[in-house]
Amino acid sequence: MGNIFGRKRRPTRVTEQDRAILQLKQQRDKLKQYQKKITLQLEKERLLAKQLLKDGKKEKALLLLKKKRYQDQLLDKTENQISNLERMVQDIEFAQIEMKVIEGLKVGNDCLKKMHEVMSIEEVERIMDETQEAIEYQRQIDDMLAGSLTQEDEDAVLAELEAITQGEEVELPEVPSESLPEVPEVPEEEPERERVRKQPEREMLAA
Amino acid sequence: MSFEWPWQYNFPPFFTLQPNVDTRQKQLAAWCSLTLSYCRHRKLYTLDVMEAQESPVFNNKKIERKLSVEAIQVVFEELRKKGNLEWMDKNKTRCLIMWRRPEEWGKLIYQWVSRNGMVNSVFTLYELSNGDDTESEEFHGLEEWMLLRSLQALQTEGKAEIISMDDGKGVKFF
Repeated sequence: MGNIFGRKRRPTRVTEQDRAILQLKQQRDKLKQYQKKITLQLEKERLLAKQLLKDGKKEKALLLLKKKRYQDQLLDKTENQISNLERMVQDIEFAQIEMKVIEGLKVGNDCLKKMHEVMSIEEVERIMDETQEAIEYQRQIDDMLAGSLTQEDEDAVLAELEAITQGEEVELPEVPSESLPEVPEVPEEEPERERVRKQPEREMLAA
Repeated sequence: MSFEWPWQYNFPPFFTLQPNVDTRQKQLAAWCSLTLSYCRHRKLYTLDVMEAQESPVFNNKKIERKLSVEAIQVVFEELRKKGNLEWMDKNKTRCLIMWRRPEEWGKLIYQWVSRNGMVNSVFTLYELSNGDDTESEEFHGLEEWMLLRSLQALQTEGKAEIISMDDGKGVKFF
C-alpha cells in the first residue's frame, strides 16, 4: 500500500489493518472536503444564474446551468465513492472482529484439548470401575452390619410401620355425605362477574 | 448566546495596570479569567497581540478604554505562568491559548469515543474535529494543534495511539 511507516516507539498496538483503515478514511475525508467545495460552488452558481437571468443574459445563465449540472453529477459520483470507501472500512473492521472471534475459539479449543489430555477415557473407566468396586464393598459392609437384625425383627418393624400408617388413616375426618353446594360453572369467572355487577353501567356502555 | 462581560469591564481603571501590588494581582487575575472566558465563548485558539488590542476584550469602545500592548503582554505572561498560554514565536507576538487544558480535551474526546462504542477504532484527525458525527460535540472545530496535544495527552495515558502517515495523521483509541 505504499505507506511510509512513521516512527516506531514501544510495542505499537496499531496493526497493519488499522493503517489501511486510516488510509481509507483519509481518502474519504478528502472526498468529503471536495464535496463541500462543490456544494458551495453549486450554491454560488445558482445565485449567479439567477442574477444573470434577471439581467437578461439568458445564454450565459444557460451555460452556467450546464456547468452546474456537470458538477451535480460529480457530486453524485463522489457520494458513491464515499459510500464505497465507508463500506470497505466497515468490511475491514468486521473482518478484524471475526479474526478476534476465531482467535477466541482457538484458545477455547486448545484449553479444552489440554483438559481432555488430562482426562483420558481409560482413566475415566478405571475410576468408574474403582468407584463401583467401592460401592460394592460398602454394601457388603452395610449388609454385615445390618445382619444383626434377624428376620423376626424385620417383621416386627414392618408390622409397626403398618400399624402407624393405619392409625393415621383412622384418624382422617369423615368424608361429608351431603352433596357439594352449587358452584358457578366457571369459578374463575366469579370475580369478574362481581365486578360486572358492581359496574353495570360501564358494561352497558361497552356493549 | 451573547457574552456576559464582568462588571470590571465597564470600570475604566480596569484598563490601566494598577501600581499597588495587591490590587494589581487581583486585576491580573480578573483579566486572565476574562480573556479565557472570552476565548472560550468565541472558540479562539490563537491570539495575536496586535490584533488582540483591537478585539473587544481589550478594547471597550463604550467607555473608550483599551489595554495597552504592554499590559496585554503582562496579562499574557500571567496566563503563560498558569499554563493556559504558549508563545508561538520568540518575539511574543502570537500565542496559543488554552482555555481548556489538553488533558481535559482528551478526556472529552475519549468520553465521546467510549460513549459511542468506538474504542479500538481508527480515526482521522479531520474526522474528529470536522466530521459530521462530532457536530454537536464541544471539540468540534478544535484546531489541529490542540487536537494533537489532547491526543498526545491520551497517548501518555495509554488510551490512544497517534498514527503518522505520509499524508496526515490518525489516531486509534484503546
